[in-house]
Amino acid sequence: MSEKILAARFAEVVLPHLGDALSLARWLTGNPADAEDVVQEACLKAHAGIAGFAGGNARAWLLTIVRNASYTWMARNRPRSVVSVGDLADLDDVSPPPDNDADSPEAALIAKANSAAVEAAIAKLPQPFRETLVLRDINGLSYREIAAMLGVPQGTVMSRLARARGLLMADIGGRHEPA
Amino acid sequence: MSPRDDGLPEDPQDMKLMIHALVDGELDAAAALAVERRIAAEPELAAEHARLVALQTAVASLPRPAVSDDFLARIAAIAETRKTDEAEAAQAEAVKVEPFAQPPQRQGEVIEMRPRASARRFGSFDWRQMAASIVLTAFLASGATQWLTTADNGSDSFAVAIANGHRRSLLAATPVDIVSSDRHTVKPWLDGRIGVSPPAPDMAKDGYALLGGRVEVIGDRPMPALVYRHHEHLISLVAAPQQSGAKSVPVAADLEAGGFLLVHWTDGAFSYWAISDAERPALDDFVARFRAAVIANPAAGSPG
Repeated sequence: MSEKILAARFAEVVLPHLGDALSLARWLTGNPADAEDVVQEACLKAHAGIAGFAGGNARAWLLTIVRNASYTWMARNRPRSVVSVGDLADLDDVSPPPDNDADSPEAALIAKANSAAVEAAIAKLPQPFRETLVLRDINGLSYREIAAMLGVPQGTVMSRLARARGLLMADIGGRHEPA
Repeated sequence: MSPRDDGLPEDPQDMKLMIHALVDGELDAAAALAVERRIAAEPELAAEHARLVALQTAVASLPRPAVSDDFLARIAAIAETRKTDEAEAAQAEAVKVEPFAQPPQRQGEVIEMRPRASARRFGSFDWRQMAASIVLTAFLASGATQWLTTADNGSDSFAVAIANGHRRSLLAATPVDIVSSDRHTVKPWLDGRIGVSPPAPDMAKDGYALLGGRVEVIGDRPMPALVYRHHEHLISLVAAPQQSGAKSVPVAADLEAGGFLLVHWTDGAFSYWAISDAERPALDDFVARFRAAVIANPAAGSPG
């Protein structure tokens, strides 16, 4: 494939999704400034691999590269903060958060929560839960795409998502003063 | 909670997952409707739904990192200035994500779709398929007992059972329990259900698209069945694991049962019955290509 075609493909496949790429890298690294470095590295890899991109969901393809690049970057720059991504079985056994009383107007509290509170709550999530939540609710991937990206069954995606949201709801919805 | 006939899980945790799936647009229309009815009927579920919607709104409204012109220009420049040798250096790492570039199926449709716009795009999801499989299995098992005793002493009752299974699959909402054109999906699914899976070669290029798989119960034995489509016709391929000591049977193409054509043969570890309402030449052609594909790629077909 000629350089020209590759460049056109890169512009078509990669550039429209830079916002999603930055946002995923920001949540995985926890830092907006690092996110640009990570995405730049990911884009270099995406360019190198663009000839092998056989069509399909370009966003999911790029985000997969961004995810890999994020963990590579963190392993190099912040080895202490890297959570082992290979050994998550125990996390799937984490029991769901206890239900708060269903009568409290949590939905209203959650809706009123300010961005800083929501961001802080997301940042506090255990890494596999955070990753799944971000891929779904921020990047908008389907269960199937997330399962393919993380290499886990869709059922695991669903349970991680439910637990991530449960933790968030308990955190954000539980911030009100006890009556 | 009293049992209902809407097919939704009774377990509260599972029901919550259904609400998540609804909010995420991962349910088909029928399932979404059933969940919405439940939500309308049960305040507790309605509260959970409201919390989820509020949470999604809150998360979705978080400020997103801006793609600055400077950054965009830097990234765009990659494609223009990359040298080949640098590209090769990075190639090794990029290669490991490339399997994603050959998505199992239909991902082309997803391009550019935002999450909520993609609602109800995917078909049923697992619990429904599972439920369908369980119901089908129970139904077949109950109907099959009457000739269970004769199942061993001839291929006629066997052929009739396969014809009935094929007919039922044509009448059902979907002829398969697991929808996939990818044998890497179908085989593990069958393995997980009944511990055995036949070769499932992809023969789309020959005009026989793999639609998916289902479980047939013949006599008292669950057996894997693959469903292929040829033009407007469906071909069910039931694969019975060979009993040890069973003789190899050459192709017998003269079977007919329930108005369907049947072809029966034995290759390796499986005894096959291909059944279809397609024309005889098409069915024979399918059988020939299937056997050739299995022989050409036995790795795709190791039993179990």
